Amino acid sequence: MVVRIRLARFGNKHQPFYNIVVAQARSARNSKPLEVIGTYNPVPQRPTNLSDEEARSARPYKEVSLDRSRAKYWIGVGAQPSDGVWRLLNLAGIGDGRSKAEN
Amino acid sequence: MRNRATTPLSKPKIRQSWSKYNLFNLQRLRNPPTGSKTFFQQKWTAKSMARAYHGEQVRESQWARMFSRRIRSVVPMSPARLAQDDGSGMSAGRGAGVEGTKDFPRLTPFTQMTFAPLERRLDVAIFRAMFASSARQARQFVVHGAVTVNGKQMRYPGYLLNPGDLFQVDPERVMYATGAPKDKHERREGRVARRKSAESQETEAKEEGAAEESGEKKDAESEELGQQRENDDPRETLKVLLAQAKNIMAGSKDVLPAKKKQELRGFQKAVKRVLSRSDSSTVLADNLESQFSELITLLKAKPAEKKDAKRSKREQSSEDAKNVSESTSESATASESQPGEALTEAFRQAAQNPEEEVDTSELTEDEFDVLKRALVQMRDNPIDSTKPYATPWRPRDYMSAFAFIPRYLEVNHNICAAVYLRHPVARPGSSEVPTPFGEPVGTAAFAWYLRRR
Amino acid sequence: MPPRVQNQLVTNSLLPYLSSSSTPTSTISKIPTQCSSSSIPSTSRRTCRPFSSTVASQTKLRNEMFTWLSSEGTALKNHVPGSTNYLTQFKERDEQPAGRTRPFPLNQNFISESILSEELRNEIYDRVVNQKKSVRAVSVDLGVDMRRVGAVVRLVELEKRQKQQGKSLALPYARAIHEMVPTTPLYEDTRDNRSRPHESINDLPVHKLTDPQIFYPVSESRQFNRVDAGRVFSAAPALENKQVTNTAADPAEVISSITQNPSHIEKVGKGAAEQQVLQPADARIPHPHLIAHERFRQSNPNEYREIYKAYSERLRQEETAEKERKRLAKERREQQQTKVQPESSRFEFRFKDVVVSKETTGTDGRGSKAPGIRYGVPSYERKKGQVKIPTRVEV
Repeated sequence: MVVRIRLARFGNKHQPFYNIVVAQARSARNSKPLEVIGTYNPVPQRPTNLSDEEARSARPYKEVSLDRSRAKYWIGVGAQPSDGVWRLLNLAGIGDGRSKAEN
Repeated sequence: MRNRATTPLSKPKIRQSWSKYNLFNLQRLRNPPTGSKTFFQQKWTAKSMARAYHGEQVRESQWARMFSRRIRSVVPMSPARLAQDDGSGMSAGRGAGVEGTKDFPRLTPFTQMTFAPLERRLDVAIFRAMFASSARQARQFVVHGAVTVNGKQMRYPGYLLNPGDLFQVDPERVMYATGAPKDKHERREGRVARRKSAESQETEAKEEGAAEESGEKKDAESEELGQQRENDDPRETLKVLLAQAKNIMAGSKDVLPAKKKQELRGFQKAVKRVLSRSDSSTVLADNLESQFSELITLLKAKPAEKKDAKRSKREQSSEDAKNVSESTSESATASESQPGEALTEAFRQAAQNPEEEVDTSELTEDEFDVLKRALVQMRDNPIDSTKPYATPWRPRDYMSAFAFIPRYLEVNHNICAAVYLRHPVARPGSSEVPTPFGEPVGTAAFAWYLRRR
Repeated sequence: MPPRVQNQLVTNSLLPYLSSSSTPTSTISKIPTQCSSSSIPSTSRRTCRPFSSTVASQTKLRNEMFTWLSSEGTALKNHVPGSTNYLTQFKERDEQPAGRTRPFPLNQNFISESILSEELRNEIYDRVVNQKKSVRAVSVDLGVDMRRVGAVVRLVELEKRQKQQGKSLALPYARAIHEMVPTTPLYEDTRDNRSRPHESINDLPVHKLTDPQIFYPVSESRQFNRVDAGRVFSAAPALENKQVTNTAADPAEVISSITQNPSHIEKVGKGAAEQQVLQPADARIPHPHLIAHERFRQSNPNEYREIYKAYSERLRQEETAEKERKRLAKERREQQQTKVQPESSRFEFRFKDVVVSKETTGTDGRGSKAPGIRYGVPSYERKKGQVKIPTRVEV
């Protein structure tokens, strides 16, 4: 049985919100996972409380919360991140920086 | 939502509105009799009276959910008093305090704050900031998208403002809501102007020759006028101008608005006439700032300096005539958008030139001031028949009887924006929730919503 | 259709408190008329138009209204520049000064308070933005609440921007309002603004904990002061004698240590009920440094220069402490977050560190501190009656 790190969709219609979960590969998407290690909000947020100059250069941001130590542990014991999670982990500096296809 | 906020004379109800019906109802409002009433009846009457005013647009169940029995209050502290002692004097002896130091503070009117949660609503706050003439109108402004909160459009009148929120209403709507309405003739003028502008657009598109012709005609007319006045002493014209300005600024209330408007028009024309005689052709007279600075230089200029620069004058006058003949609205909007800096700048310059003061010595400071004020008012408050309110703008009738701004709002009326500083609070002797009812009604209404009946 | 029963004489049967002033009909006398009017409708009709079958309702009241508007009401029609023009001053002729500030005759407790005049507003903006004075100092100097100072700066800034953009302003409207409503002027000598403040700048909010009345016996030999009272209200144990003597020795130091490190206030209670001990009024007012200033002034009168020096020193301390606090808070926020701006994306990714452990998730995995949306909790998003109005708008 493969353990995967993947996204589970929560939130509402047109308003996605994901839990980053560690779960058995064959289990249903929103079934109770082994562990929830973070969240991902793909809806870009506009940065607030900025001065005029900052506002011009500011990018909209996407929020991710992640327990790095747990993510590292699960990868260490052979859990396979899905494509989306792989990208997020790379951004967080946990992956090796290469895309999944290269591996 | 149907507007049930009527102000009937029989079965009168007080509303959040500036109408004269409401004022009359407010004038004959009495505290309800309690002598022969049961406690339940007293509470019921008080509640129905208060709810007709406070959040009449909010459903009862919704309001009942908003109601909070805990009422915010503050006590103003004096640092000098706090510095004197550590407060042990108040509990000295057997706990009642040191003899002779007692002062009875004024009571805090807690129950007058029953409807404080409703003051957080966006529509009510707009009404309180005097941006709308009734809470219903404020609600309409929100729903129609004329209101922004923190720079973002907010279409929910039920949005509960948080402390620090800045809300802004479109100034044109505010002027419409608070200004006197147009009368029959003004409405007609507006229609005519609209039709004219539409026509002129058409003709412009078709042929420009005709327009030129008419311009020439008017040119001739104005030339005549100019020749009539040519031999006048500039001081005389100045005097006339001043008299007109004074007339306008006197602002007596018994003068009919129509008459006032006539005077204003006359003044505007006179200013233009004076300007048309100026030598410099660089100043375009459609902009009031430049008009004004030009006028100042004219005032300063010596009468001997009346060189005949026929060519330039002709241009000037023709331009002037066009401006007059064309819609005044254009110039008005153009000038309105300009900041007043140029004007004050011109004045400062005028004041700083002492060597030419000799010529204008006949004008006292006061007179200058009057002239300036008249000109400024003309610039800020132009006659413009395209606007939906009576122009020049004046406050609507019976507005002053309802004019107050509670302390929990900080309002900038120039841009029609306000900041909701904090929630309304009660303090000893006063409460910040504006309510037309007295303590008996407030207390009974509060008791009703405590739900112990 | 038979003519409808006119309700002219029974108009106020529901709300009899609104009796018209000119016809003082008592409520008791109305009851028989009501009966008669329902039985014989024709008698109750007004006699002004005896043969007309159209119902001329309201005419009497309307007439009354217009008579009032044309007699007493004329004074209210237009505003009096420079003074208020409320109904109250005409209703109560004997007490003039109070009636000038009360818009509602029946409500003794609502006062139309003054607003900032244009000059005072510009002065506030000038001091904060151009002279770089702190909000706290400006607030004390001009007698304006700190929140109001901040709001004024925002609003004037916005006004300037709008002028620059050439948007239309409501100048005649603003002028009219400033003529109708009382305003606080900027006095020639700006010290007058301090002695005659716009509003009370040291408002102490009444704390929820002080609501109940508590019977608390104290020995007569002991001083029971504001600090003790706060502890009693929050059910904290009484201070030990050593601490009490420390506080009495240098109260200003103790208070400033509280106000400058609000996170270090002692806490009582366990779990969810944990709360800070209620501090005395000295620490909870917006300008606690003024108390120390007053104390210093009372102990050394006539040394104006010294007093001023100490005051500005205290103000400076307060400001630096505030700045430090803000900086630390910002640092903490930054530390918890790493921002990544990938080359290939338009977006920035903000990674927040969270902890998944037994403490956060709890033994059953349902703890509220753990990250992620809980399992087994239904979403009521699309159920009936869910309020979708936003609760906040970020700047």
